[in-house]
Formats: sequence, C-alpha cells, structure tokens
Amino acid sequence: MRAARSAFATGLWAFPLATAGLAVLSLYRESLGLPVSYLSLLTLILVWTIQATSWNILSGFSGYFSFGQAAYVGTGAYATAVLYGRHGVSFYITLVVAAGLCALLALAIGGLAFRLRSLRGEIFALLTLAVPFILGALARTSRAIDGGQGIPLPVPSFPAQLGLFQDFLYLVGLLVAAGAVWTAFAIAHSRFGWALAAIRDAEQVAEGLGVATFRYKLLALVASAVIGGVGGSVFALYIGFVTVESVFNLNFPLFVIVMSVLGGRTHWQGPVLGAVLVVVLQNRLASSHFESWQLIVLGAILVVLVAVAPEGLTSGVRRRPWPVLGAVFGTTVILWLARAPGQPLDWILVGMLAAAAVAVWPGRRRRGLSIAPTEPAAVQPSSPRSSASAPPASAPPPSESAPLAPAAPDPAPAAPAAPAVLVECRKVARYFGGVHALEDVTLRIHEGEIVGLVGPNGSGKTTLVSLLSGSLRPTRGHILVAGHDTRTLAPHQVAHAGIARTYQIPRPFASMTVRDNVAMAVMFGRVPSRLTQARARAEQHIAFVGLGPLAGALPSALNLHQRQLLEIARALATEPKVLLLDEALAGLNPAEIDSAVEVVRRVHRAGTAIVIVEHLLRVVNQLATRVVVLDRGTVLADGEPRAVMSDPAVIQAYLGRSGARA
Amino acid sequence: MRTRPLFPMLIVAALMAGAATGCEKKSGTGGTGSATGKADPAASTRPIVIGSTLSLSGAFAATGQIHKIAGEEFLDRLNKAGGLLGRKVEWIVRDDESDQAKVATLYEQLISQDKVDLIMGPYATPNILSAMAVAERHGYVLPQHTSVLAPLMKYPCQFPGWSHGFAPNEFVPGQLFDAMASLPRPPKKIAILTNQNGSTDFVSYGAGDNKKGFVSIARDRGLEVVAEIKYPPGAATSWAPLATQVRDAKPDLVINSGLGIDPVNLLQAMAQLNYSPPLMFSLFPAPGPLLKLGPTADRVLAVSIFEPNPAVLAKSGPVVAEIVSDFKNRATEAKLPYTAFETQATASWNAWEILVSGVKAAGSVDNKAICDALHKTGADTTFSGHLTFDPAQNNFWPPTTSGLKQIQDGDWVIVWPAERAAAPIKPPPG
Amino acid sequence: MKFLQAALTGMLLGGLHALMAAGLSLSWGVLRIINLAHFGLILLGAYLTFQIASSWHIDPIATLVVTIPALFVAGALLQWGFDRLAVTELNSLLLSFGLLVAMVQAVSNLWTADFQQMTAAVNPYATSSLSVGRLVFPTTTLIAFVLSVLIIGGGHQALQRTFIGRALRAFAMDRTIAAAFGIDHRRVSILLAGIAGGSAAVAGMLFALSTPLAPFAAFEWFGIVFAVVILGGIGNVVGTLLAGLLVGALSSLASVIHSPATEPFVVFSLIVVALLVRPQGLFARAGGS
Repeated sequence: MRAARSAFATGLWAFPLATAGLAVLSLYRESLGLPVSYLSLLTLILVWTIQATSWNILSGFSGYFSFGQAAYVGTGAYATAVLYGRHGVSFYITLVVAAGLCALLALAIGGLAFRLRSLRGEIFALLTLAVPFILGALARTSRAIDGGQGIPLPVPSFPAQLGLFQDFLYLVGLLVAAGAVWTAFAIAHSRFGWALAAIRDAEQVAEGLGVATFRYKLLALVASAVIGGVGGSVFALYIGFVTVESVFNLNFPLFVIVMSVLGGRTHWQGPVLGAVLVVVLQNRLASSHFESWQLIVLGAILVVLVAVAPEGLTSGVRRRPWPVLGAVFGTTVILWLARAPGQPLDWILVGMLAAAAVAVWPGRRRRGLSIAPTEPAAVQPSSPRSSASAPPASAPPPSESAPLAPAAPDPAPAAPAAPAVLVECRKVARYFGGVHALEDVTLRIHEGEIVGLVGPNGSGKTTLVSLLSGSLRPTRGHILVAGHDTRTLAPHQVAHAGIARTYQIPRPFASMTVRDNVAMAVMFGRVPSRLTQARARAEQHIAFVGLGPLAGALPSALNLHQRQLLEIARALATEPKVLLLDEALAGLNPAEIDSAVEVVRRVHRAGTAIVIVEHLLRVVNQLATRVVVLDRGTVLADGEPRAVMSDPAVIQAYLGRSGARA
Repeated sequence: MRTRPLFPMLIVAALMAGAATGCEKKSGTGGTGSATGKADPAASTRPIVIGSTLSLSGAFAATGQIHKIAGEEFLDRLNKAGGLLGRKVEWIVRDDESDQAKVATLYEQLISQDKVDLIMGPYATPNILSAMAVAERHGYVLPQHTSVLAPLMKYPCQFPGWSHGFAPNEFVPGQLFDAMASLPRPPKKIAILTNQNGSTDFVSYGAGDNKKGFVSIARDRGLEVVAEIKYPPGAATSWAPLATQVRDAKPDLVINSGLGIDPVNLLQAMAQLNYSPPLMFSLFPAPGPLLKLGPTADRVLAVSIFEPNPAVLAKSGPVVAEIVSDFKNRATEAKLPYTAFETQATASWNAWEILVSGVKAAGSVDNKAICDALHKTGADTTFSGHLTFDPAQNNFWPPTTSGLKQIQDGDWVIVWPAERAAAPIKPPPG
Repeated sequence: MKFLQAALTGMLLGGLHALMAAGLSLSWGVLRIINLAHFGLILLGAYLTFQIASSWHIDPIATLVVTIPALFVAGALLQWGFDRLAVTELNSLLLSFGLLVAMVQAVSNLWTADFQQMTAAVNPYATSSLSVGRLVFPTTTLIAFVLSVLIIGGGHQALQRTFIGRALRAFAMDRTIAAAFGIDHRRVSILLAGIAGGSAAVAGMLFALSTPLAPFAAFEWFGIVFAVVILGGIGNVVGTLLAGLLVGALSSLASVIHSPATEPFVVFSLIVVALLVRPQGLFARAGGS
C-alpha cells in the first residue's frame, strides 16, 4: 500500500519537477505551439484540483464528509475581493489573509464540532452545510463585505515576461495546486495520514490506541480550509467578479465530492484524477449539443460510481498503471490516426473514459469491508487456513517479550509484598439517560493480576471496560489510572497512561494490513515512532500472538479467531500496563479457545495485568487470579476465584437466574 | 535521511529558476488569433462567428429566453440582408445556467477554444460583469443588453444596449418621482423593497461614494419612507411577512426594486392578505408573469425603452412593425409565456446593432478596431437612434429613450415621459 | 399585530416545511438512508400537479389521485435500489445527491427552466384568504397547514398503533432483533419509502398551489428542510412538526424584525446552536452502551 520514507523522499524532488514541467507549458507556450485554450482549460483543472484536494484532506482521509466547501471558497474569494478589489491591497497579501481567515474559521468549526463526543459523520456533514449559508447571508447583509452588489476584480499587475494574464493565472493556479497536492501527499505519507486513515476506519479504536484524534481532525480541517481559502482567492481572480451567488454556491461541494469520489477519496491522487476527468468532461459536454444533459450525466456518474466502485479510480489505476496509460494514449492516438470526428480534446476525453473503464473493470476489488464476524472470505494464498487458525506450536523466542518489558516500570511479575495499584475505581456510576448501567463500583486492579470480570448479560461489564479505557466518562465517581483521574484525560491519554482494550466484536482498521494495524498502535504509543520502526516492532507483536504468517493480509481475510488475536496484538503494541479483554473468546471453538488462553497467559507472563470479561466460567477459573462479579451495575463479589464462585449470593444472582445457560 | 532529499531539490530549484529566467519573449497577443484580426486568406469567405452565453435555465431563464429569440431574429434578418462585411454570421449561444462562475468559464472557452470572432454579452448584471472580466483579458469588445451598474462597468470596450445614463441610481428614481409628481394626488408615503442583487440594490442605495438611490432621493424630495426592506435573491424568500409589513405601513406607492418574478410573488402575497397597494413600481420585472395575474397587477409601473403599443408603432414605421410581428411569431413558437417585443428584446436589439455598427465602421472583425470605431463614430440603432459612447462615462449614453410603462387593461403601455407616452398614467383608484 | 401576523403566517408555512421534512426524517431515522432525492420527488409532485391540473382543467387538489400513487411507486423503487446496492448511510447521501441533480435537470428539460404557474382559472386558491379580525390567513397556507398536520398526525398514530408501525419502530431501533421477530425488512422499508414518496406528492401539490415553480427551487429547500429535520430529531415525526412550526415562526419574525436577508442566518445559526448545545436531544436513535 503506502510506501514508507522512500516514497516521501521521492516526492520531495518529484513534485517540484512535475510543477516545473507544467510551468514550462506556459513559460515556453509559444515555442511549444500550445494554444492558449489549453492553458485556460488547464487553469480550470488546477482551480478544481485545489478545491477537491482541500476537501479530500479532511473528508477523504478522515471520513468526515463536509458539505461546506463553499465556505472556504467564499471566505477566500471575499478576502481577495474586498482587500484587493475594493481597497487595492496587493493580491499576494490577500492570499495570506485568505489563508489566515480560513484557518480561524476551521478552528472555530472544528473546535466546536469535534468537541461533541457524540458527533456523527452525517451531523458533521449537515453542520458544514449550514456554514456557507450563514457566511453568505453575512456577506450579503454587510456593506463592508459585499452588501449585495458584487465586487469586480481588476487584472493584477504581473511581470510582463510571463506573457498574457492567462499565463499569470495559470502559473498562480499551478503553484497553489502544487502546494495543495504536495500537502496531501505529505500528509498521506506521515503519521498524520495514518492517524486520519485510522480515524476513518474506526475512530474510537484509534483513540483507544493512543491516537490524539481531536488534534488530528482539527489539523486536517485547518489544512483543508487554508487550501480551500487560498484556492478561493485564485478562483476570485479567475472569475473576475465576486458575488455571494458565485462563491457561496452549492456547486462547490457537489463538484468536489464528485471529483474525489470519482478519483478515489482515500488517496492523494484521487482528487487530481477526478478534477481532470470531470473538468474535461464538462468542457466537452458544454460544447456539444448535449449541454442540457450535462448535469444529468454528472449526476448519473456519481450514482453509478458510488454503486459500482465506491473506492474510485485511483486504486484501479495503481493496480494496473500500464493498461490504464495504454488505454489513454492508445485510444487517443487511434482516434487521431483514424481522423475521428471532433477535436483533439474529444479524443483525449474518449481516451480518458476508456482508461477509467479499464481501471474500474472488475479485477476483484480488494475490499470486503464487512466488519461483522464472518467466515473468512478469501484467505491469503500465502497462509493456509490450517496454520493460521492455530498459533505456531513453537514457544515464543525470549526476545519477543523484550519489547514489552519497558512497559511496566518494575518488570518483576512475582511482586514483593504489596503490588502496586494500577487502576482504581472510586464509587463509579454511569447512567445512560434513565438507565443506571453502573452504580457505586469501587475496584482496584493491581500489578500482576488477571482479574476475571463476570456477570449476567446487561450487568455493566462492557460499560465498565469502556469507562476504564476512557472512551466513556463516569457520571459520578472517579477512575484513577496511574494516579491520574480519567476525567481530566482524553481517551488517547488514557491509552498512553497504560490502558489498552480489545473489542468483543473485533474492529480492525479495514484499509490496513494486519501488520499496519499493529504498527498504528506502535506509532502512536507513549513514545511516538516512525513507520519503518513501528512495522518492525509490529512484526514482533504479531508473531507473539501467532499471526506471523498473516502479517500482510487485510483484516477482511481473517476469521473471527484471527481477528481476536489481531485485537490483542494491537492492544499489546501500545505497551499497556493493564490489558482489558472484552469477551475475547466469544464465538470461538474449543481448540481456538485453548490457543487464545495460551496467548493470554503469555501476555501475563510478560508482565501485563489483565482484566478479562468472560462468560465461560471454565476459562475464568482457569486464568483469573481474582474474580469480580457484577450484577445490575453493582459489585456483587470480589475475591479469590474459588471463594467467589462458591458465594451463595453469586450462585443465586449469576447461576440462579441464568442457570439454564451455565 | 533528512538531508539527502535536499540535493535533488536543489537541482530542481535550479532547473525551475532556469526555466523562469529563460522564459521566452512572448508576442503579447497570445494565440487567440482572431482577436487581433490577423490577415487570414480564408477569412473573407468564412462566416463570422459570434459567441455568447445566456441564462437558458436557472433563476434568470425567464428573461434569458427573450434575449435568445431576439438575437436569433436579429441574425436571421442580418444574414438575409447579406450578412456582415459580405460574410455570413453565426451565433454560438451556451447556457450558463444563471451561474456567474459558469459565465466566466464559458466565455473563456468560447474565446480561446471555439475561437469566436466576436462576443455578445449575457443576460443579467452579475453575469455581464463576469463576462466583462473575461472579455477584458482577451481584448474583446463586449456589447451587452442590460447591465445597470454603470460605475462598475469600467472596461472601455464594453457598450451598453440599454442605458439609464452614468448614474442610473439617480436617473431612475428621479424619473419615477417626476412622473408621480405629475399625478393629481402625488403619493406621499413610500415603501421600498429591494432585492439584494447587484443592479437592483444599486438603484436603491447607490454604489461606492455615490450613495444616492430610491431611498435617499425619496427622502430628499420630502417623501416619507414608511417601510424599507431588503431581501436576498433566490426563490427561498417567504413573501408573506414582507406583504404584511407593507400592508401595515399603509404606503401610497410601493417601490419594488426587484427583478424577474419578485413583483408577482409580492402582489400575490399581498392579495392573499386582501390588500392591494394603491400604486406599485417594479424595476426589472419579467414582463409575462405579471400580466398573468390579471386585475391584481393592474396599474403596476416599470422602466421601459420600448413597448409595441399601437400608438408607438404608428409613429415608428414599417421596419419596427416587422420586427415586432416576427418576434411575436417566434416567441409563440418557442412557447414563451409573453410574446411582445418589449424592453428586454429592445435592449438586446440595440446591443446587436451596436456590434454591427462597430464592425461596419472598422471594416473588419478586429476587436480593437471595432472598439475604437465605436468610440469615434458611435452606433445607429432602430429603437434608440444614434448612440455615442464616452469612455469617461463608461460608455453609458444619455438616457434619451428611457421611460416608464404601466399595465393598463392587461397590457404594458408606455406612459412616461409624456411626449412619448401612448397613454397617460392611470392614477390609483379612489 | 404585525409580529403576531408574521409569526402565525410563518407557522402555517412551517407546517408545509414539516411535511417535506417528515419523509426525509423517517427515511433517515428508520431506513438509514439520507435521501436527498426526496426533494426531487417533491419537485416532481409539484410539476405533475401543475401539468395535470392545467391540461385537464381539474382542481389541483384532485390531482393527488394521480400523483400520490405515482410518487409512492417512485419512492418505493428508489428504496428498492438503495436496498439492492446495500449503500451505507454516508454513501446514500452521495448517491441521492447525484439522483437529485439529475432529476432537477430532467424537470428543467421537460418543463423548461421558466417559471410555471397555474392560471387563476385553474387554481382558485392562490388569491383567496380567510380573515379573523385584522389577522389574515392565505387559503393556500391554510390548506398546506391542515393537510400537513393531518398527514403527520396520522403517520404518528399509525406508527404508534398499527402492527406495521410497531414493526418499523422496532426496525429503527435494532435491525437484527427486528429480523428475529420475523419482520421482513425489505417489505417494510419499501412500504415506508413509498409512503414518504406519497407525502412528497402532497408537499409538491401544496407548492404548486402557492408559488410559481422553477426547477432550481429544489436546491433552495435544502437549508430550511434540513434545519427542521435536525431540530425535530431524526426519525421523530412529531418533533419534525414542532420544529417546522418553530423554524417557520422564527424565520418569519426575523424577516419582519430585521430583514429577509437575515433569515438564513437565523435558521442556520439555530441548527448549529442546536447541534452543539443539545446533541443528545437531536438523536432519535442515539446509541447507548
């Protein structure tokens, strides 16, 4: 998938080179014999590339769809229109102002929206839909901004040797677009990009693994807004006359979404491909007799693409780059040689459409993307299923536990007199509306323990796990992790304090391989590290749980047991002091249970305290050094397993009511 | 690791610097070709191609269609009479969907890609301003039908087909209040509703340093402004609250500085409140829909340059009558709701005649030559006579043919100024 | 008096917005489809009403006999498609956005982009009104309000009382459990989408009754209707009605007190504030543990 440092290094010289190459088209336009019309078309492509890339950095990478692209376009355009068009401030300064204003706008939107713990994607989408309406109304009513008449922009002065205004506009657009695409590229190849991908795949999980989601989302929003705003300034220059209708316009979200979805919204190249295709298509449709069909065609493209190829063209292009390139050039050249009717642009368009068809041609897409536990769809050829379902018999080499050692400050499992308290719950209560999920839970977890957390369905076990891991906050009471109250910590800080959890229904990052799923947790651990180092570390954790042969597989190729092991490996990669296992054995067959129990033992031996939520009392008895029984949200019993299991109250509550099942 | 990529970057930077400094000397005209009117052997037989956009869909479409039919009619007549400079004339018209951003893109495409020889303006002020920005870049002459925002139309090769002079924000209110003062009982209390669209907002409130407009001029003339309302363009406005405000203010005259179907919506909303204003003026209404309202819209006033009233036609001669009746046939065929050749069509006709006059005077389709010729010799028009263009006034000619029209018994009738009127102004009832 | 009249007129109009929002809200809350094509159906309903009433010279309200079944089928077909493609909530937004854009353009190609309006002879309601003292209520808004309240109220009752209604609510809360109780989710969702389509027919008819029609109006409904959906609580029909009345009254008051240009400012600021301050109140199906 994404290559590491080397790709980034390649980008450092490839981008300036590509930019220089494109700049030559204008600088040596007359020598090359390039008609100005192509330059104008390229400028339009650049203008849209900027906007689509801006949208993609937030919405494509992190999965938070925005319908508010027009807010940045409008803010940028009006910054330039008011300052340059009305007050004669230098055009270049207005670019900076546009960037600054949009950054502030993004901080305001993100600071408010991303603080909402219950923010869902659609709500964010609609929030952002509202913003351009508000700003547009503001611009319209305020005489200082617009007041209703619109603002014309004169042609700015530029070095005469650049040639025409079209040349200048093209070069400005090129620089901004190159900056935008480079930003997207750099983000995609950094920790930032990985964090955004993890947020897109499973935000809560990412948070639990130590990813500072709020910060990254906000950063992405700011980057997106700044690019959109500067692009808005360029757009203002392009249209030459700014009005509320022309910039606070629903066409912007519509087209950037179409472009990014078409191109592929998880990759930095997606918006570029999409912008090229859509702009050329629009251009040709406008010149044809089908202009009244333009929007119908675009709408249909969006519908078909979402239905047929939700991942867009980029993945197809990257999968078979040569056939795609061949299709573009081949078709174009054949049409040219055959003297097909129409202009060169028509031939190029047909070539691009042919290439698009080649790219999305069913060559078996790689995304099953069903997170629900299902039978493995297709096991990687490299790993026969039999070897995968049972971990390798060989005991882990001693070096494997080494990376885990620094996790615990004093790594002596056989603790002296008083083992340190790692987590403490003081009179914790948690309500959901009127439902009292937990009430007055007081509990300590010590170093070196394996605590079995049991109780009937609905007794609050999963709620307690969520509270301990910081993804929920107590309604009352306090939870102290390494002496810090979790109320004062963001979920990713709780992870850094040494708590990690697995989910009953595994929630892997669907777009990443097993190796990268685990590497994510290493990268964003207490000590941040680079991808290459993280991958090496991840291999050790994967081998530790016995998933070694599957390191390169995507989660969709794993069976339930393997996904549970992946959950454990990923949690271990954060180097936790306490590992919370939420029904990690549910749905497994007896052989798988045995192998999982073995893994848990190994984790424990390596010095990690474990809280295990489990229905199978056999397993709990086998593993736990202590058992806590929850019933209707309160602690019913807490102590040594055999003593607890023989407690009449426990038998009454636990076995009595659900005796049939035990 | 960190330093290594620096080297290739330096190379690239050097390459770029080289590219920039070695940048070729350009001729400065670009490859747009025909804009400069270079001698082309085939040019004398090739048709002259004129490009423009019109709002054939979207918010301005109701009026955009009128301009399309007027343009087609004009060119058919021109080609039948032998074309221009002995060449046939073709017109490429694209739909800008009433979207100003699209106007710029499409004009760019028409000029640089389709390589049209000449361009014609689009409809509605914001669109015209967008087109003007592109025309200026390419040095094309831009005749345009209807832009009112004279102070913003700074491009010297822009030529208006309809003019209220250089200061429409003073002229139009002045003319209206003059006309009102001629009534037996002149209105005293005025309600002003302004659509915050470039041109209409301008006529109500002025622009830049000139803040004159309906509102200030009404006060200057000692009239009482009993309601002053601004509303945004677009169909989302709910008219009932506006109608309530107007009704409760009890004005003698309602000035709707709006366009399109604004007055229709407003009158309908007022009718639903069982209220009908004594007198109403609407700035740029779409002519058809108001007539469909029947008696509700009786006595509504609007600005005008020409209405095909029998009294006017009688004075105008056979050519005008021919144009008017041909337009009626075409508009009927195109299922337009209103088929009279009125102000919008007249403005369109003027713009086309300005372009043709310029080409004839220049003897070529060289845009610079046309622009210079128009400044030097002016243009001859069927409906507004000989026009002269002063760049100091942004080419906006004196408003000699501007007047007011009124709906009387289901049709628009020219009522002001008195010397050109087909009928006197019908005063409010009672 | 001015303010009272404005608030009341706004509220009456708000009823119509609530009716538009109800179909959208139900489909979002229960079917997990954010169906922007619903606006397209309303637009289609309006134009069909205009066309049928004008060419057959029948009372525009009577056209419902044709338009409700037609749009019921259209809505059901759309849902069938969504179901077949198994689109996610977010992708449904994208997909239906594409549909809406195409539908608006198709309407524009069929009926021209010009404003269309039934003549006074066909539509006797356009200029009549009912007065109570100094307060005046336009007949069209009264009809819109009464029909909207009846439909939304009826829909609410049906959801509470009938087996299908309970099945739908169970379905909205938990699909797998609903399936376990033998609820065929396909049938139920297609039925619901059909009903939403029918409500779009009524909303469209009411529009054709009161305003000149233009294809691009569909995009202008976006803002206010989503405001109503969100404020009312997604999937909550009664909430939608109340939110419609509230938004209608407030925007009408904003229009009178300041200027109509501030209307979008007030309405959308309200959405933002509502989302920020009371997110829990807006989630009809907020996830618990």
